[in-house]
Amino acid sequence: MKRTADVVIIGGGIVGCASAYYLKKKGVRDIIVLEGSDSIGHGGSSRNGGGVRQSGRDPRELGLAMTAVQKFWPTLSEELGRDVEYTQKGNLRLGKTGAHMKKLQALAERCAAGGLKVDMITGDQVREISPWLSEDVMGASFCPTDGHANPLVATLAYFLKDVELGVHFFTGAKVKALEKVTGKVRRVILEDGTVFEGGDIILAAGYDSRRIMNTIGLDVPMTPLLDCALVTEMEPEMFPQMLGTAAADFYGHQTKHGSFVFGSESGLEEFMEINDPNDMSLQHPATLGASCRAIEGWIPALAKAKIVRSWSGILDMTKDGVCVLGRPEEAEGLILACGFNGHGFGTAPAVGYVMAQTVIGEKPVTNIEPLRYERFYEI
Amino acid sequence: MKVIKKELIVAGAGPAGLSAAIEAAKSGVKATVFDENAAPGGQLFKQIHKFFGSKEHKAKIRGFRIGQQLLEEAKKAGVEVVLNAAVIGLYPEKEVLVQQGDEVVHYKGDAVLVATGAAENMVNFRGWTLPGVIGAGAAQTMMNLHHIKPGNRVFMLGTGNVGLVVAFQLMQAGCEVVALADAAPRVGGYGVHAAKVARTGVPFYLSHTIKEVEGRDCVTGVTIAQVDPQFHFIPGTEKHFDVDTVCVAVGLSPMAQLLKMDGVEMDTSSGGFVPKCDESGATSIPGIYAAGDVAGIEEASSAMIEGRMSGAAIAEYLGYLDHEARAARERELDASLESLRQGMFAPKNRGKKIEKTEEGIAVSENLLTHGYVADDEISRFPGFRKQVGIHPVIECTQNIPCNPCQDACRKGCISIGDQITSLPISVEGSECINCGMCVASCSGQAIFLVEEDTEPGYGEVTIPYEFLPLPQKDDRGFGLSRSGVPICEAEITNVRSSAAFDGTRLVTMKVPMEFIDRARFYKKA
Amino acid sequence: MLDIEEKLKEIGPYVPEEDDDLLVCRCEEVTKGEIRKALHEGITTIEELRRLLRCGMGLCQGQTCGTLTRRLVAKELRIRPADVTLATARTPMRPLDMGIAGNDRGAGEDLAKGGLR
Repeated sequence: MKRTADVVIIGGGIVGCASAYYLKKKGVRDIIVLEGSDSIGHGGSSRNGGGVRQSGRDPRELGLAMTAVQKFWPTLSEELGRDVEYTQKGNLRLGKTGAHMKKLQALAERCAAGGLKVDMITGDQVREISPWLSEDVMGASFCPTDGHANPLVATLAYFLKDVELGVHFFTGAKVKALEKVTGKVRRVILEDGTVFEGGDIILAAGYDSRRIMNTIGLDVPMTPLLDCALVTEMEPEMFPQMLGTAAADFYGHQTKHGSFVFGSESGLEEFMEINDPNDMSLQHPATLGASCRAIEGWIPALAKAKIVRSWSGILDMTKDGVCVLGRPEEAEGLILACGFNGHGFGTAPAVGYVMAQTVIGEKPVTNIEPLRYERFYEI
Repeated sequence: MKVIKKELIVAGAGPAGLSAAIEAAKSGVKATVFDENAAPGGQLFKQIHKFFGSKEHKAKIRGFRIGQQLLEEAKKAGVEVVLNAAVIGLYPEKEVLVQQGDEVVHYKGDAVLVATGAAENMVNFRGWTLPGVIGAGAAQTMMNLHHIKPGNRVFMLGTGNVGLVVAFQLMQAGCEVVALADAAPRVGGYGVHAAKVARTGVPFYLSHTIKEVEGRDCVTGVTIAQVDPQFHFIPGTEKHFDVDTVCVAVGLSPMAQLLKMDGVEMDTSSGGFVPKCDESGATSIPGIYAAGDVAGIEEASSAMIEGRMSGAAIAEYLGYLDHEARAARERELDASLESLRQGMFAPKNRGKKIEKTEEGIAVSENLLTHGYVADDEISRFPGFRKQVGIHPVIECTQNIPCNPCQDACRKGCISIGDQITSLPISVEGSECINCGMCVASCSGQAIFLVEEDTEPGYGEVTIPYEFLPLPQKDDRGFGLSRSGVPICEAEITNVRSSAAFDGTRLVTMKVPMEFIDRARFYKKA
Repeated sequence: MLDIEEKLKEIGPYVPEEDDDLLVCRCEEVTKGEIRKALHEGITTIEELRRLLRCGMGLCQGQTCGTLTRRLVAKELRIRPADVTLATARTPMRPLDMGIAGNDRGAGEDLAKGGLR
């Protein structure tokens, strides 16, 4: 069994899989990916709303989001040989009150400052884009270059391409600890005692990254947060746009398949005790009802849509709301890619690419300096 | 949000759920049972056949009557049964979400029992999604609950008890069953169930399975073929049947989703099909129980006992029953359950090839490969006896936990003894009075009354009969062999019915003496 | 721990079979061939199959095809069916109208405001 590689990636989610892919493309020969669960993309990669969104982003990660949309998503299906269902029909962020509209206006201005075009539109214009939305909708911000994709397929598309290219994957490989060798982070010790060694180690294990980096004395201030969503049966095509609200009471989209995926919550979920961040079975009894009521307020037409499933996942929420990327100064050999705060899917291709650039010492395609680990020392 | 507090919440008003609620309620627990159907009873109300077992297992009583008794008992015990109420989720702190009409109601239980039963398995052959391919359980629902004939000409895949019982019921409903097949080399269900189907003339194809179901918009035919021990089709062995319905009876899978979603530990050796639980159904989460098929597929009779055991355990958990009383009740129930888990079909014998009965008699190979005991095999079993004058001939050749026949005969003509699985013996020298109770009480329809030389060259055979139209006295037709082939002329000399026979008619036919040991069914000319 | 590369070597490449066009998941119309092919490309679990192909993700949530898929996975990956983990179970147990799901605040309460019903 293969135990050493140029790069060992911890985490078989979309960030890990994308990083492996771009590393291969950059000519790195030997790559190992370790996935703790039995399935690739078992964490946030399969448990998100599929948004490929730039609007509403923190300026520190807007560059990543725009890079992803401009350079990666449009050609991803072709590149990976599988339809990742990328749809660039815009993001509607809806408002019902004057306060909502003010909030949307501020967000739009912030985007404009970062070079992203976001339009403010009226309620009637909103209903022209989508007649299914409630009469109560007063207006919206509309970012025409935003969109969505299928996170489940996108993650596995990277994975399958990686396998084809010769990336070595191990599933059920639960990481116990990292270990330094002569001052450099080099070893990955599994719970079953297996030891992997890498010239560089990329840590992209979602919230579990914190526990793993703790074993060599690093820490990122982050907390786990339960994230819930519901999925309906397939419906006729109604919304090609990504939807969100100024009230932040739901987000979602209709997939190419026809089903709706909506994320929403009752507000009680964050108080649930998360004993194991890898346990995805937690669900709160109030979520489903509250979610449906929230969605009903915006899209009354979906009353008869049947829910076939609900799911939950764990968000890795950092202190300042954005991810941690790059090489921490105090841990040579380690590269971090974690703390995506529940919006890492859309940026994942760009993050993967930047990870590959970081390994080989290339200048990143977009500035990731503000996302560095050391920022928490400055708080 | 309003959350309604309950003491014991039971999901599923089938045999296990109702039994548990009754048992718990008898100790004082306030039990509420939810069921998504419009009528309670689960599968029981589809079971129009007589059950096996002993008296305590309600043997020889038809399933739907057991369901009625259970409902009556539940009512008396003060169990609240809520219908049209689908349990859609089980959450931490034993919160249960129930869809009732156009709302979802939140309940919380001090204890929760999941008794949601099982769903039918499918196999995918070419054409499996055509209208007309249905589960055997679905066919049963159509016939016995909704009184709709599933089809006219039916092919049955699967020779387990479900396949055999439903094949028989299809014929009772007026369908023609053209054949049964099973990929396994041997009949999976009780031999007596197979024999009552075979003697009507339905062929059994073992080591055969469906190659293709034909039809454009609905089923018009089925082609089966023989399979080798690795279950690969053997070319050239195809057989075609014109049918409009294909019934699939290839096993059941527990519906344990509620337990899974609540984080109950599942049994990994089964790949997570069933929860890990002790004999009382207690799962890894205190206060959450599982009973019946959801905890492992068995018969309704065992589900009812399992339910009782869970009910007693829950009563103790909630403080209504002290430990000793519960233990005593559990011992009692355990003994009853153990007696059902004996014999050739015991869970511990699954997949084993059994060569000899407990008595050391070679089993009937023909029964296992063709669905009926061959003429030259029957005489080695203790239920077969030649005697002057009328006497029972019991063609029960496998060790199954069932003994109503012994009690049915007040003259001591039939003996099983203390071991419930022993083969019934037709007792030498006993005096049969032709009451017919044994014939009607045999859930396997395996008892016949035989009287030789009623007139020169002729004798009479009395058979159990559960089809319509009933033969009439003086009707003339054919005596059929155990394989259902007409072998002789037969004349009906008597047709009896009685409340005590519970729907089974006793048909007596006169046949030539040389066929007295071979004619086991009647067909009108 | 599963070494995907080793597993793929062990099971060999995808070889088409005569009945690859058979439906396995009838809700989402996923064929045996699609599933077999995915297994020979590196998919090793029912969860991954569901994500990639949607099999078992429809109205019945795999109640019908779960065991069929499990058998297929076991056969292709050369493991015991019992070692193939079934998909997780989630609320709701039965398909549920969003309007009904949202109506869960207790009978008799005023649900008039923008009620989905």
